Amino acid sequence: MFDVALSAAGAQISFATSCDENFPPEHIIDGKDDTFWSSTGLFPQEFVVTFASLMNINTIKIECSNVRKLLIERSVQNEPDDFEPVEQKDMENSDGQWQSEEISVSNMTAVHLKFTVMAAYDHFVAVHRLHVDGNAVHG
Amino acid sequence: MPNSLRAKCIIVGDSCSGKSAITQVFHSDGSHFPKNYAMTTGVELVTKPVHVQDTHDAVELFIYDSAGKELFSDMVQNHWANPSMVVVVYDVTNETSFNSCAKWLERVRSQKPSVTMPSVLIANKIDLDERRVVSMKEGQDFADSNGLEYFECSAKEMQNVEQPFLYLAKTFHKLYQDRIEYFMSMT
Repeated sequence: MFDVALSAAGAQISFATSCDENFPPEHIIDGKDDTFWSSTGLFPQEFVVTFASLMNINTIKIECSNVRKLLIERSVQNEPDDFEPVEQKDMENSDGQWQSEEISVSNMTAVHLKFTVMAAYDHFVAVHRLHVDGNAVHG
Repeated sequence: MPNSLRAKCIIVGDSCSGKSAITQVFHSDGSHFPKNYAMTTGVELVTKPVHVQDTHDAVELFIYDSAGKELFSDMVQNHWANPSMVVVVYDVTNETSFNSCAKWLERVRSQKPSVTMPSVLIANKIDLDERRVVSMKEGQDFADSNGLEYFECSAKEMQNVEQPFLYLAKTFHKLYQDRIEYFMSMT
């Protein structure tokens, strides 16, 4: 098992609804805790992480700020479409402090994961880090 | 490259107070004042980017011009989820429209009670000076006690229509800067 949601592991951001050039969505998968993606207004906000190949996933962990309602979806297609829901989470208000949510999903496969912030505790949210523990599916 | 923020701007107030006229004059940069009255049924959405003074940034306003008639109230409020900012409009020649401002403000704020929303109060139709019944002081006092920035305008004369929106964009941009600083301070 290792973190497959890192640009160093071949992961990419294939879509995001906000892009402040100083706080781009690539910051989510750069492996650093001191960088973040910030949304720039309006909800919902989304980003899609595309892995290097089809992955077997065990846990998804997201670290963010101001998120109230989060929807996670997955796709096993080559192109990021045909998403199906994985989990919907209501997160606690932490007044802008870091929120951390870990979701266990034993033996789930995905090429793409889509994260949708449906609602928030503020006008803006930040996503600091994403960890996805998994392995490439061989076969 | 300049950054573009996005904000959902809800415009409310009694019917016939001039919400659509203000929206259209602002949206058309003063080239279009609707001379004939057409009641808004539901919500009309227009978008307009506003440059934020002294920055390279812009705020793209998604303006939800909302029907003032109570008949459409429930339907209209369905469009108000996750508001970013609010504009309350009244007609200075119509006391009832002024008295309704508190109700309108409360309705929008109840959508997102936990968040500070940049908010303005617009006293419209100041060109009709001889028919004016709500004074500048009354408007200003209401604005002050409700956390609103007060503006007077005449959509018909295209006078001061842009200012409230420039203020909203600037305030929203400031909120973003503050939030970014806060996010950075946590790392």
